[in-house]
Amino acid sequence: MSIVVIGNGPAGHRVVERLRHHGHRGPVTVLGAEPVAAYNRALITSVVDGSLAADSLALPRLPGDTRVRLGTAALAIDRAGRTVYADDGTAYPYGVLVLAMGARPALPGGLRTLADGSGLPPGPAAVVGGGILGVETALALRRAGRTVTLVHPHPYPLNRLLDDTTGVLLAARLTAYGVALRLGHRVVGRRPGAVVLDDGEVVEADAVLHCTGVRPRTRLAREAGLAVGRGVIVDDRLRTDDPFIHAVGDCAEHDGRAVAGLSAAWDQADALAAVLTGGSARYRPAPLCVRLKAPGLDLAVLGPPDAAGDETVTFTDPARARHARITLRQGRVTGAQLLGLERAAATVVQCYDRRLPIPSGRLDLLLGRAADTARGPVELPESTVICACNHVTKGALLRACREGARDLSAVSAATRAATGCGTCAPEVRGVCAALFATEGS
Amino acid sequence: MNASRTLVLVGHGMVGHRLLKTLHAQDTAGDWRTVALAEESRPGYDRIALSSYLTGRTAAELSLARPELLADDRVDLRLSTPATSIDRGRRTVTCADGARVRYDALVLATGSRPFVPPVPGHDLPGCFTYRTLDDLDAIRGAAVPGRPAVVVGGGLLGLEAAGALRALGMVPHVVEMAPRLMPLQTDEGAGRLVGGLVGALGVGVHCAAATREVVAGPGGRVRAVLLEDGGELEAELVVFSAGVRPRDELARAAGLAVGARGGILVDGDCRTTDPLVWAVGECAAVRGRCYGLVAPGYLMAEAVAARLLGRDAEPFPDEPDLSTRLKLLGVDLASFGDIHARTAGAVSLVCSDHVRRTYTRLVLASDARTLLGGVLAGDASAYPVLHGLLGRSLPASPERLLARA
Repeated sequence: MSIVVIGNGPAGHRVVERLRHHGHRGPVTVLGAEPVAAYNRALITSVVDGSLAADSLALPRLPGDTRVRLGTAALAIDRAGRTVYADDGTAYPYGVLVLAMGARPALPGGLRTLADGSGLPPGPAAVVGGGILGVETALALRRAGRTVTLVHPHPYPLNRLLDDTTGVLLAARLTAYGVALRLGHRVVGRRPGAVVLDDGEVVEADAVLHCTGVRPRTRLAREAGLAVGRGVIVDDRLRTDDPFIHAVGDCAEHDGRAVAGLSAAWDQADALAAVLTGGSARYRPAPLCVRLKAPGLDLAVLGPPDAAGDETVTFTDPARARHARITLRQGRVTGAQLLGLERAAATVVQCYDRRLPIPSGRLDLLLGRAADTARGPVELPESTVICACNHVTKGALLRACREGARDLSAVSAATRAATGCGTCAPEVRGVCAALFATEGS
Repeated sequence: MNASRTLVLVGHGMVGHRLLKTLHAQDTAGDWRTVALAEESRPGYDRIALSSYLTGRTAAELSLARPELLADDRVDLRLSTPATSIDRGRRTVTCADGARVRYDALVLATGSRPFVPPVPGHDLPGCFTYRTLDDLDAIRGAAVPGRPAVVVGGGLLGLEAAGALRALGMVPHVVEMAPRLMPLQTDEGAGRLVGGLVGALGVGVHCAAATREVVAGPGGRVRAVLLEDGGELEAELVVFSAGVRPRDELARAAGLAVGARGGILVDGDCRTTDPLVWAVGECAAVRGRCYGLVAPGYLMAEAVAARLLGRDAEPFPDEPDLSTRLKLLGVDLASFGDIHARTAGAVSLVCSDHVRRTYTRLVLASDARTLLGGVLAGDASAYPVLHGLLGRSLPASPERLLARA
């Protein structure tokens, strides 16, 4: 069986790698529109900030009988003749066709390819759009020592993922990191070396990066008459409505969701390779997990923002811009957002992925400190105030008991405990009873 | 009977009574006699348990005055005898019955009056306040089981009133200006939970709502309450519980200084601008601030009793303990310390149990160990322990402390 893959991005590359892993020996042809070998798109921002050289992103060479045609774009699919026509003038017949064209920026000037990421003009930069890519790009540019302005039309970045508190604190962290924020604004024009915002402000920017989202590349599929929604519609076996054509990665739409991101693309590629080699695998979308890491900035978002559960735990530390909100069902995470709580985020992500209950001692978990693992009743310190009305401490009650008070009224007479509002009486009795129990009086 | 000095106490509410009781319990030398002028026809009673009067407790059971106090010949409690003026030059207080009483020390414990917002119709027949046993008798007389009633004010007292109306078989609606019920005792999350629980009991909850007018029916009695947003709530009767105002008129007329927002101005020792005159409880503006809770009032009463006996007493704290725990309409609620995490660097941990319908907020110092305050709603059984740990390092994880009770 001859397999043709259109697209040499991470999804297409992964399909081929996994096909070989599952023992597929037949010929595979990969058509890549970009002139460079497949690379890890997730690391483009590392090229932006200069921490990685462009060629270090390259993915490993594909083994076996694999032809990779770089700089070769598919032009049309002849479904009846099971042939792909490409701009190199060649016809590529297929037994099975895999669409992995990915997505393109919704607006020109977007950051998507290595070419976008390297060779930016020097000087101040403006990032347009405060989604994940926009925030990561702004951080990368800042790391590279640039002046960066992030323009976003909502009150805080990542507004579709975050609750208000996390969002506002994330904005504070970005500001502290040196990213100038223009929230609630849009870019309405460009001038040489600058962009113009909707309130008339002119923001200096030699480089302008649009991170305003991507659209699945679907033209080929649409023209071939395949079912297309936002992306190319596929079932759990990543199959389109043509049994000989599959689609994976950002160009595919599974269960109403397209552009699900890199890790979904990898999962889909894994599932498809198994399907094509005769396995019974089905693609199941992994739980949503977004992780943003930069020095001084650690954000984890798990599950949908409106995750349901039977319990919600929230931790807020506005002075240090730290915030967590974890929704649980029977102790298991159904949704979470953690900002600035790196160690806790690592634990919570693990529990979420493996569907394990989170450890008890949630405050300690959130703060990443040693948990209080003791069991049984808590021994209150003697300085604990038991009777608030008359400010009687546990120590004073114990003294009264040791000096002979044997019941509530005697203890009350000696200490004035429980003579105010009286609500502490059970607690007073409890302290005395515990003493008598241990000292055997 | 050889008491050499006379205290005139104006007001026999909970705080006035505490002062009277403490003074005579500690005045072993018998230096003082007290003339206590009570405006109401009965001795002071437990106003905190006021609502229980509608569910079976009698006025006698609520009374604070034990027979031995009334029999004490050092105590001259005059009921239905409000003070009408003070002559500080002559050191006398004139009473409504014309009597004039000379004092060596004067303590004003005149309390508060309910604040009734001056909306049109606020004085129609069928409008009530909720402070005295007489108020409750009037409400009981006007209640019609099965009919709606409106409570203006969703604070602690407003919910007390709603609970009382419900106990009388009425269908209460609470109108609160703030976006949540009990805004002084709750944060947003606790307020939301309380609103949900109270609503589930059949109480109409209308937050972020202002009363525009009380309108009369054909007979001239209350028929409905109109809201600023145009809404209309049918009402057989209306109870105003929109806060209180200190009763400082006697002190004003006597030329004593009052606080910027009302209340008889006193220093940390509860002394007014006249060294022979003191003020305690809700009528006192300690360093300019009035306190509407009984615990700070008791603190004032005990300190003044000590000073009258020539003993030292701690000055009133700058940040008094304003903790509250209450059970209203079956909803357990407690708040203590810095509930809104206003302390610099403070952090909060909030646990909401959507199944048990409980809400817990703990406010900790920047070390995330020292307890600064908290709010417990739905289940406040951990309150005594947590309140006792205020300002101290938590000896165990919050879960264990919460589970302990």
